[in-house]
Amino acid sequence: MAGETGTFSRRTFLNWVGAAGGSSAVYQASIALGLLPASDAVADRAALPNLDGARRSVVILGAGISGLACAYELERAGFACTVIEASNRIGGRNLTIRRGDVVDEAGYQQVCDFDDHPNLYFNAGPARIPGHHRLVLHYCKVLGVPLEVFVNENRHAWVHDSVAFEGRPVRLREFVTDARGFMTELMAKAISPGDFDAEFTEADAERFFLFLRRYGDLDENDVYRKSGRAGYAEGGMVKPAVYKAPYDFREILKHEFWTRGMHWTAAEDQAAPMMQAVGGNDQLVRGFVRHIESPIIVGAPVQSIMLREGGVDVIYAKGGASQTISADFCLNSIPKHLLPGIRNNFPADYLKGMESVGRGKLMKIGIQMAERFWEKQDIYGGISWTDQPIEQIWYPSHGIHDNKGVMLGAYVFNAGTCLEFGRLTPEERLARAIAQGEKIHPAYASHVQSGVSVVWHRMNHLLGCTAVWRRDTRERWFNRLQQPEGRHYLMGDQISYHPGWQEGALGSAHFALADLGKRVQAELGGDAVHA
Amino acid sequence: MLRRLFVVLSSFLAVHGYSEPVTAPEELQTCVVCHGIELAGNQSVDAPNLSVLSAWYLKRQMQNYKQGLRAPHGSKDHVGREMAPLAADFGDDDMAVLEQYLADIPVFNAPVTIRGNASRGASLYISCSICHGADGEGNPTFNAPRLAGQSDWYLVRQLENFQRGIRGNSPEDLYGSQMRLSTSILTDRSAIEDVVAHVNTLKRGDH
Ligand SMILES: Cc1cc2nc3c(=O)[nH]c(=O)nc-3n(C[C@H](O)[C@H](O)[C@H](O)COP(=O)(O)OP(=O)(O)OC[C@H]3O[C@@H](n4cnc5c(N)ncnc54)[C@H](O)[C@@H]3O)c2cc1C
Repeated sequence: MAGETGTFSRRTFLNWVGAAGGSSAVYQASIALGLLPASDAVADRAALPNLDGARRSVVILGAGISGLACAYELERAGFACTVIEASNRIGGRNLTIRRGDVVDEAGYQQVCDFDDHPNLYFNAGPARIPGHHRLVLHYCKVLGVPLEVFVNENRHAWVHDSVAFEGRPVRLREFVTDARGFMTELMAKAISPGDFDAEFTEADAERFFLFLRRYGDLDENDVYRKSGRAGYAEGGMVKPAVYKAPYDFREILKHEFWTRGMHWTAAEDQAAPMMQAVGGNDQLVRGFVRHIESPIIVGAPVQSIMLREGGVDVIYAKGGASQTISADFCLNSIPKHLLPGIRNNFPADYLKGMESVGRGKLMKIGIQMAERFWEKQDIYGGISWTDQPIEQIWYPSHGIHDNKGVMLGAYVFNAGTCLEFGRLTPEERLARAIAQGEKIHPAYASHVQSGVSVVWHRMNHLLGCTAVWRRDTRERWFNRLQQPEGRHYLMGDQISYHPGWQEGALGSAHFALADLGKRVQAELGGDAVHA
Repeated sequence: MLRRLFVVLSSFLAVHGYSEPVTAPEELQTCVVCHGIELAGNQSVDAPNLSVLSAWYLKRQMQNYKQGLRAPHGSKDHVGREMAPLAADFGDDDMAVLEQYLADIPVFNAPVTIRGNASRGASLYISCSICHGADGEGNPTFNAPRLAGQSDWYLVRQLENFQRGIRGNSPEDLYGSQMRLSTSILTDRSAIEDVVAHVNTLKRGDH
């Protein structure tokens, strides 16, 4: 590295120190003033007036998490609700797959062939519940859905990159420990106490170097030689520990893991500890269904949505015939990209807004393994990362020490890769996932018993996943779509700042309910004056 | 017949001033998820307007998908690949149901989304009109499908697919390979958009 570059980066760093000092000062002041950012999550209970005998009807389109929450809340406030769902299955994208389940993919229906055992399932949609997703947790609590810990990061898991370390997987803990060691050693070398400006006192500087030493596990000369954090090569229990030699930092730099996986759990939505529902995340759906008395009509695709003065008319198909339902309000969670294919009289700009939001893609492959071989490698739950198309391998957090387990053999976020997998037959997808898994776990294939792929952009009645909002579409269309059009509300995680999370779906549902509640309250106030 | 009667009756009884869509029979429920109610098309999921097409044309395309003449395994016709597994599952009985349904539903005009030079397109269209008709009405004698009212973005993509040899590259796909040769007069993307802009001006469907 040229001296010039070194000087430049040091100056940049010092500027940064100043900036950080400034912002931290502001932060401290805000805490003192009690100005910490308040969450915009709506209160647990949806704000709905009690109808006290007044008649109001709501038709809810889609029996996903948002639709179910609306039915639950509205019927408790005395509204007459009907839920209309295209699929024969309730739950939408909240989907847990077990033995015998049909994966309703357009053109490639699969039937799950896992063993019949309560632990042999995988969550094809929502898998993780973070501690700050208050609405999801609220409903789990009131609906009696028990939760358990979900392991989202495991330092014993593997990180793999086809070009780094000659394609050998290394333990996540080694990678992170060495990366931190090298980074902090470099900083300690590049910075001397005199580099700081006057505001940074000598005592501050001293603590700064101590910080580096602790953060990177450097020795007393601020050199990274070895660290038990990486795990020992051998010994450490009844024989003396033998440290691992640090990796070559250039191999770490080549590796894809630090571009994404290494910082994954720093995100608020991904941070430990996380939770999952005991027995599969669709227990939340079952909890809702247990507590909802309103009719949920399944196998009933909506054909037409017509807004009119004072209400909304919906036509749906049921068993080859059509049925019409008229209601005072309509709460609609049908994926926005399917709505242009449904007969409607939406204003042109409302429809254009829906068409402007992108259709997300995600894919998961669940594989039943004859043996929980990963537990013999010290891996209990968590994720291994690879630069291969499968991106991730998940080890189940539940069923520890059972004989068998269902692991996630692929979780693909890359849209192009999803399309590519989607064009293969389910058998070909599975074969690819197994071949890639072999690069991380030799003899992987020998454990495989059966697998199921869920390609969300091909799933019937969904044809997509997380709504893709670009910044310009957000600015142009979000408010337009979040606000009701007449007595029709578009909702679901697609109409939130948190698409791809159930909390977004529930937040959007509560937003719509609050607005609807206010309107009904105003109407009832008028009635009261009349009487 | 009974079903049709029911449909007619129920729309007759509809109290609000719009016509009720003709419900697709169970066999076609998956079709309408993508292609929309009454098969009118949905660009958001790349599904063209089928209401303008005739049963003989759809039958042949389904056959082409099945036989790997259109969007075969490994093909660059990515959207066609989305369709192919569905065609594989579509039997002769289903085809008969589709034929009846096409007869029951109105012909829709897809919204205009392409901006091209229609007058330039008109002169390019002259040679197209030999098979597809001056009004783009199609001609079964020449195995040429109706173009008028079709989703314009779909026409653009198909013309590009023909040109690039993504569609019509199998000699067994007789009419596809004919079409592939015919696209040689469209020298660039703007020529394609121009000719489609002209198709957008043709006498359109009854809806
Ligand atoms: C791979 C994946 C991973 C995820 N991971 C997480 C996670 O870890 N944690 C988390 O909290 N969330 C996660 N999510 C997001 C979560 O699944 C969604 O936010 C939530 O389930 C969306 O609920 P919804 O009610 O908004 O929509 P949906 O569940 O999409 O409901 C829409 C409903 O409309 C129905 N419908 C469609 N067409 C019609 C029609 N014509 N007539 C009637 N009904 C129709 C559909 O069948 C569906 O039931 C994940 C999602 C996926 C796919």
